[in-house]
Amino acid sequence: MSKEKWDEFSIVGKNMPRVDGLDKALGVAKYVSDISVPGMLVGKILRSPFPHARIMNIDTSRALNKAGVKAVITAADTARRKFCMNRGWESNMILQDSKVRFIGDQVAAVAAIDEDTAMEALSLIKAEYEPLPAVFDPEEAMLHGAPEIHEAKNNIAIHVQRMFGDVEKGFEQSHLIRQGFYYSPPVTHCCMEPRACFATYSSDTLSIWAHTQTPHGLREELSEAIQIPQSKISVFQAPIGGAFGAKIGMDPMDAITALLAMKTRLPVKIANKRDEEFATSRFRYPMKIWLRSGVKKDGRIIARDVKVITDNGAYNHEGHLVMGNAGSKAAQLYAVPNVRYEGYLVFTNNVFGGAFRGFGNPQITFAMETQLDEIADCLNMDPADIRRVNANTPNSTTASGCKITSCGLTECIEITARESNWINKRKRPKSKKNARVGIGMACMIHGGSGVKFYYGKNCNFSSAIIKMNNDGSVDLLVGASELGQGSDTTMAMLAAERLGINLSDIKVISGDTDTTPFDPGAWGSRQTFTAGNAVLSAANKVRRQLLDVASDLMEANIEDLDIKNGNISVKGSPSISIRVSDAAAESYRNRGKPIQAQGVFEDVWSVQSDPKTGIGNVSSAYSFGTQVAEVEVDIETGFVKVLDFWCAHDVGRAINPLGAETQIEGGVLSMGIGYALMEKMIFQSGEVKNQSFCDYKIPTISDACGLKNYFVETLDEHGPLGAKGVGEPAMIPSAAAIANAIYDAVGVWVRELPITPDRLLSAIKENSIKRNGR
Amino acid sequence: MTMVSITITINGEIFTASVKPNTILIDLLRDKLGLTGTKKGCGTGECGACTVILDGKAVNSCLVLAAEANGKEVLTIEGLATSGKADRLQQAFVDHGAIQCGFCTTGMLMSSKALLDTNPAPNESEIKSALSGNLCRCGGYLRIIEAIKSQKYS
Repeated sequence: MSKEKWDEFSIVGKNMPRVDGLDKALGVAKYVSDISVPGMLVGKILRSPFPHARIMNIDTSRALNKAGVKAVITAADTARRKFCMNRGWESNMILQDSKVRFIGDQVAAVAAIDEDTAMEALSLIKAEYEPLPAVFDPEEAMLHGAPEIHEAKNNIAIHVQRMFGDVEKGFEQSHLIRQGFYYSPPVTHCCMEPRACFATYSSDTLSIWAHTQTPHGLREELSEAIQIPQSKISVFQAPIGGAFGAKIGMDPMDAITALLAMKTRLPVKIANKRDEEFATSRFRYPMKIWLRSGVKKDGRIIARDVKVITDNGAYNHEGHLVMGNAGSKAAQLYAVPNVRYEGYLVFTNNVFGGAFRGFGNPQITFAMETQLDEIADCLNMDPADIRRVNANTPNSTTASGCKITSCGLTECIEITARESNWINKRKRPKSKKNARVGIGMACMIHGGSGVKFYYGKNCNFSSAIIKMNNDGSVDLLVGASELGQGSDTTMAMLAAERLGINLSDIKVISGDTDTTPFDPGAWGSRQTFTAGNAVLSAANKVRRQLLDVASDLMEANIEDLDIKNGNISVKGSPSISIRVSDAAAESYRNRGKPIQAQGVFEDVWSVQSDPKTGIGNVSSAYSFGTQVAEVEVDIETGFVKVLDFWCAHDVGRAINPLGAETQIEGGVLSMGIGYALMEKMIFQSGEVKNQSFCDYKIPTISDACGLKNYFVETLDEHGPLGAKGVGEPAMIPSAAAIANAIYDAVGVWVRELPITPDRLLSAIKENSIKRNGR
Repeated sequence: MTMVSITITINGEIFTASVKPNTILIDLLRDKLGLTGTKKGCGTGECGACTVILDGKAVNSCLVLAAEANGKEVLTIEGLATSGKADRLQQAFVDHGAIQCGFCTTGMLMSSKALLDTNPAPNESEIKSALSGNLCRCGGYLRIIEAIKSQKYS
């Protein structure tokens, strides 16, 4: 990677309109759910009505005989292979063959000429079940005698124990110890586009348009599931109506659509209805968290003891990694020297979760950051001060072996405290008639460069290809995925900057396994760092190729040349110049060397943590942030109105400031507020009861308060032009900041999310009784 | 099932068809006419992604029967641009960073246009009220408010 210092950027760091914005505004961007071709069949999935049952028989004959039905498949039409994107954790099947384990588990599928026919066909499939006893609470599932869901003793998918330092000694040395129980419920992504999949099969090649964050990974999983070589599968990403982690790895819908297309040799599309989406999608793993912290007199946390019980649901997916990430954050945030962590991942007959923005970090941060305010209260310390004392510092190492390099957490605390007028607001009277106002703060740490969680021991690379056309325009092929988060735009900005051309001269090709180079996918807030570095690597090579030709044409030394606005000129003599297109065309036509190059990023700084000890530097760079929330609590109704938010994030360098700012606004206002105050999937005996936006409330425009954003640019030494990730950090501390603000306002803690009006009212009343005896 | 004859003006063009009486307007637009700019986010009138303008009023097209639109004028997102060029409001959304995944965008634009057509200089409270039925999970709404505020129709 080039170590040149840039004095002045033309594109990076400026607000640029996103490259795919116009298509979306015009309504011409075609999402998977928009795809329609002549002869396309509609696919539908038959799902189990029971949370736990043996499949006795599935009779598809009547469905097959119905006019307009082109295919009906069951497990018998599959390779009956268990799968999981994480190797060693295989437990699910595309179509279940012997047992169903959650309400909604897939057992059969049809493809028919239209939706009505497909729905009728589903109703004609006779599936006979023998219901089995089911269990829905992880603590109950662990008990002796609980129904056995898989062949896991006591339904425990994994039990993890970690110790960094000596936690008992840490508590002995503590001046104050606080403990509490916290609960983070299942909350769901609510992508605005319900999941859909479209596949065609011609000759021996499968083409599939899927909702995926991992096109290359999906291709590999599909290859194993349907048993055809990867080169015979093309995975395409259409513009996607939301992901946030829900679309990592293969979903049964993808393989089912593929199988139906292969069986019928006709195009097939499957799309969830919204209620199906609520009932069967992945969601944030719910966690019961027992947290105990010990601090010294000055507020420094020196011991943390965490126990987590995570509901793994019916099948393995990401639970072990999410739970592990939550545990690792207990050691990372504030680099506590003595940390014990115990986690139980337990099967139940509920729908199973998956990755969701933050990946276990919002859950644990809620517990850690609210407990810290409790501690501050006991010590009579300002919550901003206690965070100043504890803040991670640059060039430090955590007890778990994480090497913090660039770190702007202290600056984040300072900025949000200053800009929110923290000191005065903490001192002000809280009461306004029936309302109480309060202000609260929370910090976070997260990986800013990806981690080696997936696909193998060392799989956090990225690659990019640049082809320069003879007119000086560029095709930029990236393995990184555009999910709406702005990846294509950021990659184009980096390439344009390095090549010295205009942003509008770049076409980004992404989401296409046929043409783009490999990349493990969009997750872990990694793409700006990993793909950005790959793009710069390719751009450096292309720049060199161009300058080689130019130096020859212009009879100048390469070191004396610069490229700006598509002109290659001699530094200090801008009138001596040629167009980039002149150099490209000359090379292509007269020298037999097209201007093109591949760039690869190799992550040589991070490792997978040791499976036994949990020790290891798991990220090449870490992102930090502080958020301050101001709330108004109506003490008659318990309703919390969020008034304002101040967010300071250490992003290394904001390559695409507009993109990064809107990520933060969305993370706080479209998700964080919902996670804190509104959202919870209500399960009853394994059934998701709230399957509509009426019953599962997410923030609307009416909830959007002001938000002031500040970037701290610590210029990470390994990030592309110093950049680190921010996608997940955007919402990691939000719920804790709101909960802390509520405490400031009304003096009560609600340790279970969401902090709904009735929960808060009960807490206020209980607190009043405790205080006043009535 | 007896079919019903309908005549609807869609984006300025007269469209005639014979449809099943239970045909929903959104399906007519998307499936019969290929106007997929109008998105189906829920099908039950709760997310606003399917917003179109029916005789000047923003409606959830998933809650309107095609037959109900008989003799009326429908404006969809495809009717905003002229000769392939984005209209001012569409461009404002792009320029203000009001678009991320884009799935809520066309519905937001139609609700915004319906508001601006009747109230050319809405305040923030009026903007929030008009768009309260349009959900966005990516963006946090602030840029949409800014984009609308930037429109001053003379």
